[in-house]
Amino acid sequence: MCLLHLPGRNGGINIKFNQFKMMFLAQLKLTLREKQAWFWGIFFPVILMVIFMVIFSGNSDEEFKTEVAVVDPSPNPASEMMLSQISELPVFEVKSGKPVTRDKAEEWVKNQKVDAAIILPESAEASSVILVVNKENEQGAAAQAVSGILNKFVQQANLLAAGAAPKYNLQYESITSGTNELDYTDFLLTGMIALSIAQGGMFGMVDMVEMRRKGLIKRLRMTPANMGIFGLSDMVMRLLFSIVQIILLSLIGVLVFGANLYINPLTLIIVFLIGALSFNSLGYFFSSFSKTTEAYMGVANICSFLMMFLSGVFFPIETMPEWIQPISAVLPLTYFADGLRESMVYETGLATASLWAGIAVMVIWGAVTFLLGSVLYKRKAIAADR
Amino acid sequence: MTVLEVRNLQKSFGSIKAVQDISFSVHAGEVFTIIGPNGAGKTTTLEMIEGLVSPDNGVIHFGELDWNKHAVSIKKKIGVQPQSSAMFDLLTPEENLNLFASFYDHARPAEEILEIVNLTDHRKNHVKKLSGGQRQRLAIGLALISDPEIIFLDEPTTGLDPQARRNIWDIILHLKELGKTTILTTHYMEEAEKLSDRVCIVDQGNIITLDTPSALIEKLTNEREIRLSFLDGEKAAEDADGFSKELPSVSKTEREGAALKIWASKPEETLLDLFKFTKEKSYGVEQVSIREMSLEDVFIAFTGKEWRD
Ligand SMILES: Nc1ncnc2c1ncn2[C@@H]1O[C@H](COP(=O)(O)OP(=O)(O)O)[C@@H](O)[C@H]1O
Ligand SMILES: [Mg+2]
Repeated sequence: MCLLHLPGRNGGINIKFNQFKMMFLAQLKLTLREKQAWFWGIFFPVILMVIFMVIFSGNSDEEFKTEVAVVDPSPNPASEMMLSQISELPVFEVKSGKPVTRDKAEEWVKNQKVDAAIILPESAEASSVILVVNKENEQGAAAQAVSGILNKFVQQANLLAAGAAPKYNLQYESITSGTNELDYTDFLLTGMIALSIAQGGMFGMVDMVEMRRKGLIKRLRMTPANMGIFGLSDMVMRLLFSIVQIILLSLIGVLVFGANLYINPLTLIIVFLIGALSFNSLGYFFSSFSKTTEAYMGVANICSFLMMFLSGVFFPIETMPEWIQPISAVLPLTYFADGLRESMVYETGLATASLWAGIAVMVIWGAVTFLLGSVLYKRKAIAADR
Repeated sequence: MTVLEVRNLQKSFGSIKAVQDISFSVHAGEVFTIIGPNGAGKTTTLEMIEGLVSPDNGVIHFGELDWNKHAVSIKKKIGVQPQSSAMFDLLTPEENLNLFASFYDHARPAEEILEIVNLTDHRKNHVKKLSGGQRQRLAIGLALISDPEIIFLDEPTTGLDPQARRNIWDIILHLKELGKTTILTTHYMEEAEKLSDRVCIVDQGNIITLDTPSALIEKLTNEREIRLSFLDGEKAAEDADGFSKELPSVSKTEREGAALKIWASKPEETLLDLFKFTKEKSYGVEQVSIREMSLEDVFIAFTGKEWRD
């Protein structure tokens, strides 16, 4: 069968329009009445996004806050200056608010009361700062963070001491080099939108399997109903559902988590349409060879899981092991998420080569899976199609 | 007038010969029933006629029309209730009917159909919540929405309770009054006898016989089964058994306790002789009956197989 073959076999324009209207209304009612669609299409992505946002973003300062002990063996101008700067650093919380003895500090480290102890230089000349961390969590995130921050801090202090202008600062580098800053909230929001639309396409076509299993597709073919119009109304319904997802997730992201969106509408529309259609094609392809809904859901789950974690939805691809990155580079979700970031956060215009490269990858996925699906459906074609 | 003619239909699925050689024609306004056990090839035959399965061999003509050239015209002429009775479970009967109505340029109003299939009271309930019988009636309603000339009903009463089954019989009889042609499949002999103008018995993909129900039964031997049971117990039955065996028109007897079965080609004469005998012996007879022959016997006679619903 061919979902998108053009109308033109029977009836005038009026009856075709009426058919479209009735089919679309039916699809709308079916979607509104299907609890599963609400759960997986709306509730699940919202919950997932909220969980990730609460855990990984929000106040990143607080997140990296780590408790340290400070030891000042023999107070001197250099150590005093450093002490005052350390207590001003938002990432460090100095336990008990003032320097303690070295023994006390080491005891705290051993009992893991603090993540690290910082031992300040004994004189202005001795510029060595000692960092004491617990052996057991030497590789832990907190220890790494403290040593990294302290390292920069010391470099800065050294430079200050040498009277040069500070070359380093403690600010984090941003994840990509776009014109607008991308912080994690924006990153996750756009990733979640991409993921929910992709899943809508990959899982949504289970309806086709269900309709075929129940004999509904066969039933429609016994009527003069135009299956092209049926496919079209189905597609329009799915696109509308995805638009609802975009708006809902964006509103929550912006209003609750303070995401910053700078939207280029034209780019967004194109990326959205191509992405949504190609993931629907993927679902259509799955449906063409799945005899049962269980089989379909199995395939869709595997694909969606792989893509979810390999396509830079939750974390940037650059943070993943090198050997995985080539896989990410061929997955359509990678480019869909990127495209949405370009169009919703960076306000990227259409005249951008990398954008079109991503669109091309999605088009290839969409076209190939659609053609394969059509071929598989046609192999089972029936007499009423003649 | 012939509205449908099929000749030498054949269909195999791999090594399974679902339909081997089926030919018949259907006249305008009749109820034509295809009856046969499960797996006989009824659904496959219907689906070939409905254009859903392409036959390996054979021809199908709706008057002047055939599937190769007139698919859309045929689809407008026929109404189908498939065995799976597929419909949108999350829509109401009314919504299902209105949706299907939009596929045709001339459809009957949904209210009219709801009336015919007696679902007016349930028109606003989701199909999911309907009973088996109501669901089946809606499936028939969907077949009627385009006001078709020829209606195909594939096992509309299978799995329904007797009351629900009778409701569907009423609908089929009503369609006949309206002058529609109905092609029905069933595996209930009683139903075929009651509803059909002509019956076609199929088994293993072949037509065994085809005629009006009464002609089919007449074709059988005129032997009837007489059943008697005696008030005076086994002894009386044994005596009567011995007596009836001597009668010229009796071919066979069977006795179980005080109950006796006698197969006789002239059942009235045999009964008369029997009653003379029991009166002489003053045996009390508790029950007497002559079993009518049914399509079931026709099936058994033609196939030598047991009939199982
Ligand atoms: N699509 C199919 N694939 C394989 N075998 C089939 C298919 N459809 C029907 N059959 C087989 O063909 C035979 C006839 O089936 P069917 O026409 O459904 O019988 P009925 O309707 O009389 O119960 C059965 O043995 C059935 O298993
Ligand atoms: Mg059947």
